[in-house]
Amino acid sequence: MTTTTESALDAMTTTGPRPGREPREPHAHHRPSRPAKTAVLASLDGPPSTTTANAATLVHLAAQRATGALLGDAGTVYLMDGEVVHAESPNAPPLDVLLGPSVLAPARWQEAVDYAGGHHQVARYLVDHAGVAPGELEICHLGALFDAAFFALAPDAGPARFRYGAAHWLGPIRPVPARLVERETRRRRALLDHVCPCPPLDTAPLCRSRAAKPRAGGLARSRRAVLDLVDGVRTATTIARLLRRPAFHVLVDVRRLAAAGYLDAPRTAPPAAPPALPAWIADVSADPDLALLRRLRDALEARL
Amino acid sequence: MPGIDECLYEAMALPGARGASVVEWISGLALGAVGDSPNDDHEATAAETAELARLAVEYAAFAPAGVPVEDVIVTSGAGFHLLRFVETGFDSSVFLHLWLDRETGNLALARIRLRDLAERLALR
Repeated sequence: MTTTTESALDAMTTTGPRPGREPREPHAHHRPSRPAKTAVLASLDGPPSTTTANAATLVHLAAQRATGALLGDAGTVYLMDGEVVHAESPNAPPLDVLLGPSVLAPARWQEAVDYAGGHHQVARYLVDHAGVAPGELEICHLGALFDAAFFALAPDAGPARFRYGAAHWLGPIRPVPARLVERETRRRRALLDHVCPCPPLDTAPLCRSRAAKPRAGGLARSRRAVLDLVDGVRTATTIARLLRRPAFHVLVDVRRLAAAGYLDAPRTAPPAAPPALPAWIADVSADPDLALLRRLRDALEARL
Repeated sequence: MPGIDECLYEAMALPGARGASVVEWISGLALGAVGDSPNDDHEATAAETAELARLAVEYAAFAPAGVPVEDVIVTSGAGFHLLRFVETGFDSSVFLHLWLDRETGNLALARIRLRDLAERLALR
């Protein structure tokens, strides 16, 4: 669905921090005016997490007012004239899932994509012809954008490459400065670890704690809904899609549930057992042929 | 049928309005902000107001029997803070925040206007 010529593509690849091209100012995005302790959500304990390679690339491209898509396995971030206009990730429910059938019937969504996708004006079509309120679309889309960017710019997101000129078929809705997206993804990671420092909860199948006892006052409605879907198989991403909520919102609820003792910390997978070796290998190693080993050593040394 | 910016500019037209924002309270992210903010940092203000909104929404004392919270109002000698939750057709967790000057602001009027704006923001 992108409109680019292959010759202009893949001009940029990121495989890690590139100090030569990006000024190393890990704290440059912190405004000095912010007090040391403003709020739990604003300034969290511990050292500030550093900018990831993909986030640094995004900010660098934005400074050049680039247009295109930063593509990676964990997600894609779209720039238009240096501003972030869209993001999507396999871990984050897409816009149509978040809007849900009560706002937008699946048939209307498909109609919008069919009619306006080729012109990159699906968002405009949704407002003009599909009865979606502009405010609703902006709120929902910003939720989807920051949600997907959180995964696309994560420290473990893997390398990304930039396709110059690529545009998303949705079209711009409410462009966001790249530095704000970078800052927000960093803040969200810190927020999760502040609630409960257990990152495996983000990706592992979730299990209820057998020891959990209902507390007086009960659970917040959103967390109750998440807990009801925990079955030992589903991950936070799966639950987010079922609840039509941004994945980050579910990650926050999952961490809060774990902190309150409702969920078990995921067991880290045991290291894979070494493959069973044939019995004769044990015999050989128990009785090494020293003469053979000496000949091997001599032969190797002779080649040096 | 205003978008976020139109909604915020209308809020700023209220007497005594000093700053306004649309905030998502689970993450604490300001989706849009205009005017001033009490600590000269809209992002920090959004995070702080989001924490307040979250407590109001999540604690049973404020939403008995599932009746949703409408507003959170904080007053001080220096000003008023009005948080109005926005009901959307999807799971949004968003509120409007309006900061009013104590001397020139009219809290009752602001509450009515903010309610209207919150409704129109999601009006189809």
